[in-house]
Amino acid sequence: MLTDNRNVIKKHLLSCKDVAHLASDYLDKNAGNKLNWKIRLHLLMCSCCRRFMRHLKITQQIAPQLIKKSEHEMDAGFVLQHIKDRTNISQG
Amino acid sequence: MAKVNTTDYCNEQVLIAGLIAGDDCAFCEIIKRFQHTMLIVARAITGDTFADDVVQDAWVAIYKNIAKFEQRSSLKTWVMTIVSNEAKARLRRESRKVSLDELDGEVPGSYLDGANFTSDGHRSSPTPSWRSESPEELLEEKQLQHCINKTLNILPPAQKAAFILRDIEQESFDDIGNILQVSAANVRVLVHRARLTLLQVIDRFQETGTC
Repeated sequence: MLTDNRNVIKKHLLSCKDVAHLASDYLDKNAGNKLNWKIRLHLLMCSCCRRFMRHLKITQQIAPQLIKKSEHEMDAGFVLQHIKDRTNISQG
Repeated sequence: MAKVNTTDYCNEQVLIAGLIAGDDCAFCEIIKRFQHTMLIVARAITGDTFADDVVQDAWVAIYKNIAKFEQRSSLKTWVMTIVSNEAKARLRRESRKVSLDELDGEVPGSYLDGANFTSDGHRSSPTPSWRSESPEELLEEKQLQHCINKTLNILPPAQKAAFILRDIEQESFDDIGNILQVSAANVRVLVHRARLTLLQVIDRFQETGTC
């Protein structure tokens, strides 16, 4: 009986690799209720995955701010002139 | 040379009105705002070879069709959909069968591969500790900024595009799926892989102080 119960519980538990696979869905709130509950249960029991989840959240928070949107200044006026030239050519 | 003035186009409705009225300044504003992301989207679909041409073709299409923009989506989504369509048309013209999957295979050494987990799904070693978990402190690290930007540029193009559209441009998964022509579920996988790669960059930076 005890073994049966353990097997049932084990069947519903996620592994660390499952949690790593699902971590962004969890942080983005795309996991759904049931999966959310399973991930939370795993996190309660696993300090490594708690740390991993915390680090992923920090990554998600800081990486976009560390990324320079454009590495060089763009001459938008020049690009616009080029678009106009091409538009005139294709219409002419 | 096109005339550029300094009108403030923070309000999208004002910007769209300017575009429809043919205001050069409004057009320069969207060029500055979207050109970089358009290139990333084009590269994700066609690869490097045709991306510049695709973006130029997209700008011409936008310039010609802006009066027909019905505002059923945001301006950014409309622009990105045009560049995506141009990229796909270019691929068809070149008769190349390149899919995002081909462009975007699993990165060697990625977080979810065998090295980090045992066969039964347990971690093979504990998650590394970080010296600092303070976002404010990490944002001050110039070397980390360099490492993140360097890694972003070697991400597979579709991962990079999905990550930028989601985590920087804040587009919805559905819109990104439409732009990149993959399902929203696949977009979530691409974004997750990119985040995991960047997480590993921070792991390494925390451990060694370098990329």
